[in-house]
Amino acid sequence: MKLPLVLLCLLAAASFGAPLAAAVLGVDARSVDLLDRVADPSLQHPLGTDELGRDVLLRLLEGGRVSLAVGGAAALASAVLGTIIGLAAGYVGGWTDRVLMRLTDGVIALPLLALLIVLAALDLGKLGLPREFIQSEEVSVFRIIALATLVGWTTTARLVRGGTLIARSQDYVRAAQSLGASTVHVLRWHVLPNVVGPLLVATALSVGDIILLESVLSFLGLGIQPPMASWGNMLTNAQELIESAPLLAIYPGVMIFVTVICCNMFADALHKRLDPRQAAGA
Amino acid sequence: MSENSLRSTRWGWAIRCLVIPACLILLSDQRQAVAGKDELTIGITQFPSTLNPNIDAMAAKSYVLGATLRPFTVYDADWKLVCLLCVKLPSIEDGDAVPVDLPDGKKGIDLTFTIRPDASWGDGVPVTTEDVLFTYQVGRDPASAVANGELYRRITDITVKDDKTFTLRVDKLTFDYAAINDFVLLPAHLERSAFNEPAQYRVRTRYDNDPTNPGLYNGPYRISEIAAGSHISLEPNPSWQGPKPHFRRVTIRAIENTAALEANLLSGTIDMVAGELGFPLEDAIAFEKRHRDAYQIVYKPSLVYEHVDCNLDSPVLADRRVREALILGLDRDAMTGQLFAGQQPVADSFVNPLDSGYSTDLPHYRHDPERAAALLEAAGWRKQANGPRIDANGNRLTLELMTTAGNRSRELVEQVLQSQWRRIGVEVRLRNEPARVLFGQTLRHRQFQLAMYAWISSPENVPRSILHSREIPGPGNSFAGQNLSGFNNPETDRLLDALEVELDPARRHSLWAELQRLYATELPSLPLYFRSSVFVLPKWLSGVRPTGNQYPSTLWITDWKPEQ
Amino acid sequence: MIRFVSIRLVEIAVTLALMSFVIYGLIGLMPGDPIDLMRSSDPRASAADVARLKAAYGLNRPLGERYLAWAGAAFAGDLGYSRLFSEPVLSAIRPRLVNSLLLMGAGFTLALLLALLLGIAAARRPNSRLDRIVNLLCFAGVSMPSFWLALLVILLFSVELRWLPASGIATAGRGDLADRLKHLVLPVATLTLINLGPYTRFVRAAMRDALTRDHIRTARAKGASEARVVMHHALRPALIPLVTILALSCGNLVSGALVTETMYSYPGMGKLIFDAVMGNDYNLALATLLLATAVTMGANLAADVAYCCLDPRVSLR
Repeated sequence: MKLPLVLLCLLAAASFGAPLAAAVLGVDARSVDLLDRVADPSLQHPLGTDELGRDVLLRLLEGGRVSLAVGGAAALASAVLGTIIGLAAGYVGGWTDRVLMRLTDGVIALPLLALLIVLAALDLGKLGLPREFIQSEEVSVFRIIALATLVGWTTTARLVRGGTLIARSQDYVRAAQSLGASTVHVLRWHVLPNVVGPLLVATALSVGDIILLESVLSFLGLGIQPPMASWGNMLTNAQELIESAPLLAIYPGVMIFVTVICCNMFADALHKRLDPRQAAGA
Repeated sequence: MSENSLRSTRWGWAIRCLVIPACLILLSDQRQAVAGKDELTIGITQFPSTLNPNIDAMAAKSYVLGATLRPFTVYDADWKLVCLLCVKLPSIEDGDAVPVDLPDGKKGIDLTFTIRPDASWGDGVPVTTEDVLFTYQVGRDPASAVANGELYRRITDITVKDDKTFTLRVDKLTFDYAAINDFVLLPAHLERSAFNEPAQYRVRTRYDNDPTNPGLYNGPYRISEIAAGSHISLEPNPSWQGPKPHFRRVTIRAIENTAALEANLLSGTIDMVAGELGFPLEDAIAFEKRHRDAYQIVYKPSLVYEHVDCNLDSPVLADRRVREALILGLDRDAMTGQLFAGQQPVADSFVNPLDSGYSTDLPHYRHDPERAAALLEAAGWRKQANGPRIDANGNRLTLELMTTAGNRSRELVEQVLQSQWRRIGVEVRLRNEPARVLFGQTLRHRQFQLAMYAWISSPENVPRSILHSREIPGPGNSFAGQNLSGFNNPETDRLLDALEVELDPARRHSLWAELQRLYATELPSLPLYFRSSVFVLPKWLSGVRPTGNQYPSTLWITDWKPEQ
Repeated sequence: MIRFVSIRLVEIAVTLALMSFVIYGLIGLMPGDPIDLMRSSDPRASAADVARLKAAYGLNRPLGERYLAWAGAAFAGDLGYSRLFSEPVLSAIRPRLVNSLLLMGAGFTLALLLALLLGIAAARRPNSRLDRIVNLLCFAGVSMPSFWLALLVILLFSVELRWLPASGIATAGRGDLADRLKHLVLPVATLTLINLGPYTRFVRAAMRDALTRDHIRTARAKGASEARVVMHHALRPALIPLVTILALSCGNLVSGALVTETMYSYPGMGKLIFDAVMGNDYNLALATLLLATAVTMGANLAADVAYCCLDPRVSLR
């Protein structure tokens, strides 16, 4: 449990501290140098430079910031959305449950691509978002977070619904209800604690999944847009140079691999800790 | 039963079941690796959607049809107009092209063509004027979904002299009157029944319902096998009377991902990669560095003109000085030199140096940051200690550059542009959109400031649709014009109109020169370079001549031969 | 039970009808159509051509009208023509569906078999070296971007070792069984590697769960052989949850694997759906997406029924 978490924290710290590293090295992650392309590692560029002469180390850190932020934010958002829907479906039951669950089925089968292209084309100005935001480069990051959330909440919703159904039939919940506790109170204090464990595990897992999703979207040309770096788009760009500059592809590949594996192992360890029977058997 | 015996019996059996067939499959056929050189496998990055020559314009389709169908006229590798299916090009001097006065007072021309006497469809039926009339009927019909209807609209009448000779009346006398490149014959004896209901033609055409029918093809090869989405095989056309093709079978394989394309080439699954639809240049350069000894790599600058359109309705870009500063701020020589190993010539205007209309008498913009800075100062953009320049009201000099998302070359170049413009105090934001969104929505409605994309033209193409003021997209032309910068210059309009109908080569050349000078001075768009296509060929193959124009090299596939 | 199934069937039908509307709307919301794309790269295309082509393809009519026309025809059994592939939708789908069933089916079966093997072995000796290695392998499999894995596999087996073809479904002019199988090896192997991780972890967890139950201890105490304990007493209850995985995978059988198909130029459903959506091919996109949805939902229903049959404690209401 410790090692993956420590590694993740280290990665996050390094990524979010990238501007500091840039200041120390005296280079800028975006400054293009056509005369110094695909250079070998040097003092100034510890991991060499990429196909536009940019510092690979800094781009990896910047890419890490984007990838981790996308993964973290989208996982969190889908957990919140999924929890609300799952609680509503499981606690209210009846038609609400039916409609919500068919909606979940529908979203699972929804054409991710069509949704993504529509999102890419959507005129954000019409949604009332400020002009400054629409024109900023970060907008593609928010698009991917929104997308991952829109399709990612279903797992959590099913999980929470299942947990809620079980909790609802427990005596202490019935007791709380009959004592006149408000619905919000019952959900917050009696139902949610029952599902928080699996919820945490699912969220930790989905961080990794979303980072992978971002890389696949980049592969399809629908991911984070340049000049912003993400591990996904760095890997996609480097696959064409796999023969001539394999390191350019190996670095982001390894970063994705390590991060996702850490997320998975962390989730696994968390799961073991939260499920005593598993732990006893292990 | 002990655990071990269970493993040795059941699993052992299972393993044998899996492993033995696998080995057999692996060993069964090594023929492919050492295939005799009577087969050729070509990799391209797209699979054609339809094979009907007149429906849908698609590069993959023209590549395949190049080997299987003969158009009447095309531009060859020297960008000269040549006859393929006809006996000779009509010309006014020879008397088989006769200018005529039309009833409405305009000038038209009568063109007499003769089909090659040996031309025949793959089922032995000769190519005749019957096919000409049928094709014309299909092309004229608005319901038939022919992609490029311009030529068919211009032809007002066809007179048939005999089985092989016919005369077209064209309602406009242009300098390239003999070019009827879009007139690609359909076999009347097979296609007529599919055309009973014109609106249904596009779904009933035999090119899609019965594509291996030899009677659909009149070129050196015919299509013998189609595996949808994967590959198309060609075999020699038995009724072809021209020079014998050298390959018993040509297979065209579609591999969209260029990294996978390279792997296929190196593994020997494909022999060559077509330049028309192949590697992006920067990948090919990296490839050449490592595999120069194993392949021939041929670069050919093409008619694909990469440029940055400036939206002239934007107050900042309406100032010519700003546009000139932008181009002076770019080091295009370094860009092509470093990124593209000098294989991609820097453009001075939209006319390729290989084109007959090319003129050298126009401004060249060398990298000159000082002059760019001076121009921006003159335009009222003052330098700041850091950050972008500002004008008198404190507005920052910020522009937005758009291009097609997912196009790696353009993404690389746009980041270079951004970086170089930042050095002259222009802040550039990048906003990329998928091609369908960019072209379908954003550019069409001119909701951009700077947009990088390409024009694909043909030799001596008069750029009316991209420069004429009537072609500015708007409600008037249902947003179908392509003058996206909104360039509105009466002198340019006059030159374009005159250029189309000027028959005298010398006078036409001076009109061309004038147009290019005007374009390069006014800079409605910033020229970048002409894209090069890269042909990666096996050492043993000779005779492949890249054309660099939109007519594929497969039109001359009979010249391709394996070295002994 | 019959009541339950029929209610669910009605729900599925309603969801599909709604989905068809949503999908139509989504594709319709996407700006740009194929004619615009064509025009953008061809300066010779005139305004007249654009208008004429849009009319010919019916792209100039309002979206709602087009949807109603489609729905009417589809209800009568006519799914229309694919504009992108210029053939009837069904004949565009058929070969690719077969390809996908082959690829996904083989990948799925292999992964499941291997997962059973590894999962059981790992579950029998928790925290042994074997368990740890299997665990690490599983994590490795799911932690790699799929296009990256495919590229590495191609580079190793096609480029370096030259054992297997890197793309396509068959050698031109051959297409016999051995040849087709040869072309399947690498994509199937890639898919197996991708699927192996989650399946193995699933099997291991289920087995672990089963092996720690009381009746196993009873069986052992009664002196049943280890093989019998594992194969009979533990595996059977552990297999029941596998039904869920089976059900979820059915949808994938028909929706294909876009990335793997792209990397191996394997014409399957994933690529078909992607192209149809990207190319605004309404008829094809609707048919393929609805097919995938219907199969997923149907399989879910089947799984619920199977659950009920396999486990008497579950009742359907």
